[in-house]
Amino acid sequence: MRVFTAAFRFQLALARRKPDTVHVLVTAPLFTLVFVSIGVHAHRPDFTASAVLAPVLMSLWSLALLTAGDLISQDRNRGTLEAIVATPARFATVVLGRLTAVASVALVCFAESWLVAWSCFGVVLTIAHPLVFVSCLVCSSLAMAGTASLLSAAFVLMPSARVLQNTLTYPFYLLGGLLVPVAELPGWLRPLSRLVFLSWSSDLLRASVSGPAGHWWTALAAIVGLGVAGAVSGALLIGAILRRVRRTGTLALT
Amino acid sequence: MSDVDGVGTAEPAVEVRGLARVYDRGRGRNSRQITALDRIDLTVARGEIRGLLGPNGAGKTTLCKILCTVLLPSAGSARVLGHDVTADPVAVKKSVGVVFGGDRGLYGRLDARANLNLWGALHGVHGAALHRQVDALLERVGLADRAEERVDGFSRGMKQRLHLARGMVADPQVLLLDEPTSGMDPVAAHDFRSLVEQLRLEGRTVLLTTHDMAEAEAVCDQVTLMDKGTLLATERPSELSAGLSSLESVEAEDVPESAVGEISELSGVADVKRLSAGRLRVDTESSDVTRQVLQVLVNAGVTSLGTVRPSLEDVYLHYIGRRGMAVRS
Repeated sequence: MRVFTAAFRFQLALARRKPDTVHVLVTAPLFTLVFVSIGVHAHRPDFTASAVLAPVLMSLWSLALLTAGDLISQDRNRGTLEAIVATPARFATVVLGRLTAVASVALVCFAESWLVAWSCFGVVLTIAHPLVFVSCLVCSSLAMAGTASLLSAAFVLMPSARVLQNTLTYPFYLLGGLLVPVAELPGWLRPLSRLVFLSWSSDLLRASVSGPAGHWWTALAAIVGLGVAGAVSGALLIGAILRRVRRTGTLALT
Repeated sequence: MSDVDGVGTAEPAVEVRGLARVYDRGRGRNSRQITALDRIDLTVARGEIRGLLGPNGAGKTTLCKILCTVLLPSAGSARVLGHDVTADPVAVKKSVGVVFGGDRGLYGRLDARANLNLWGALHGVHGAALHRQVDALLERVGLADRAEERVDGFSRGMKQRLHLARGMVADPQVLLLDEPTSGMDPVAAHDFRSLVEQLRLEGRTVLLTTHDMAEAEAVCDQVTLMDKGTLLATERPSELSAGLSSLESVEAEDVPESAVGEISELSGVADVKRLSAGRLRVDTESSDVTRQVLQVLVNAGVTSLGTVRPSLEDVYLHYIGRRGMAVRS
């Protein structure tokens, strides 16, 4: 746990100096401005929850895909991967701690979005079920870290990972029900959507704001389950990759 | 099989037996295998400072990488303080500190202290003990006044010092230093030698790869020469050069031309060179020839003369050969 905490704190310190992590703190308020203004213009107060929450989840996914997904590859390019692997710390734990730190940045985005909606449009987003809301936000961040560990390992194996990263943003905004609720997606797409933890997160966050929260524990269990599945798959893949690069002698890119 | 051992003890710090490493490079019809280590045997006693000398591609870094577990051997075994690098890598990692040379391998956006805090934590050093250790190391490598500055702004030599501190952050018994003075200015390199001397007094074992002959001569108990993945020789630096009488030289000043001609005609004289105005260097092939050259010079009335023992650089060039800038494939 101490290694996890140290990795978490280290990544937070690094994030303060890396625009690719904190860029979501700039884009989330801008997306909020766009979405809330659409709702206000269309006289759709029921759209407010989506307008404020969508930028938060978009930030979460964006961080998972672009920043966290690059974490191992960047360490490899920087020459730090070799030195980390040479320490007794379990590498998957180090990665998970750092990814959790990246995910926690998205929590700040909620505060930003809420403030933008209130200060620019006078729209106050009240939360009907605060406990469910906070639990969902925290579990979603952890699920994001778990999913990102899988992505981070997978992208090491892909020569054109950056192209894939850029391609996977908007499809997952849709699959995750971030912009359009999953219930509004075509029927054939919904089962696939339910494999993405974000679809459970977006539904539960909206429900916890407007109430009733319904079977919130089912959604929360799905988020945690998918996050754990991502983390376990990520740890296994990271282990397999480390064994491979130690065998092939390609741990460091020189 | 290369089998050039150093003097070991019952419990060596590093014990390598039949160690081989082959890299596969290229794909399909262009694929080929490169042998980086060719079944070497090596023993480094506890508390010893061992130098590894060799040209680029000799296999020095590959050996270091296997010993710190980031690279798997193709064959053979390697043990650090009794722990096998393949079977028990965690135990090896706990006892080894590694320093890879160069600009890379640090988080440039963070300051020196933050870097060391991370590496310490990953080695299981936490809390007050970590703070004390980091402060002491920053002081020891001369970066205490720059501890809060971003590493991006450091010179290459300062980064190298930070690499050294990182390697020592877990207080390891065995240190693998892969060209640790690369990029250091002469003053810092001199300080590094003092640091290695302190490490010796603390009873640590150091395996040091270097191209710097003076450094190897100054700090190493023994030097192992490597080339093409094999070990060529392991000796104390002084003995290594003393054993090569064929590399003896005679230097003299104000040598008359007649004497130069006479020396040139002696059998066993390898080379006669004018070094600078009035200064002559004669390379001989044996001690007997050296005596003959000295006799000729004395007979010619030369009073400023002497023999020159081969430096470690001479020995290095003798074993490795002069291959200019070429790197083996």
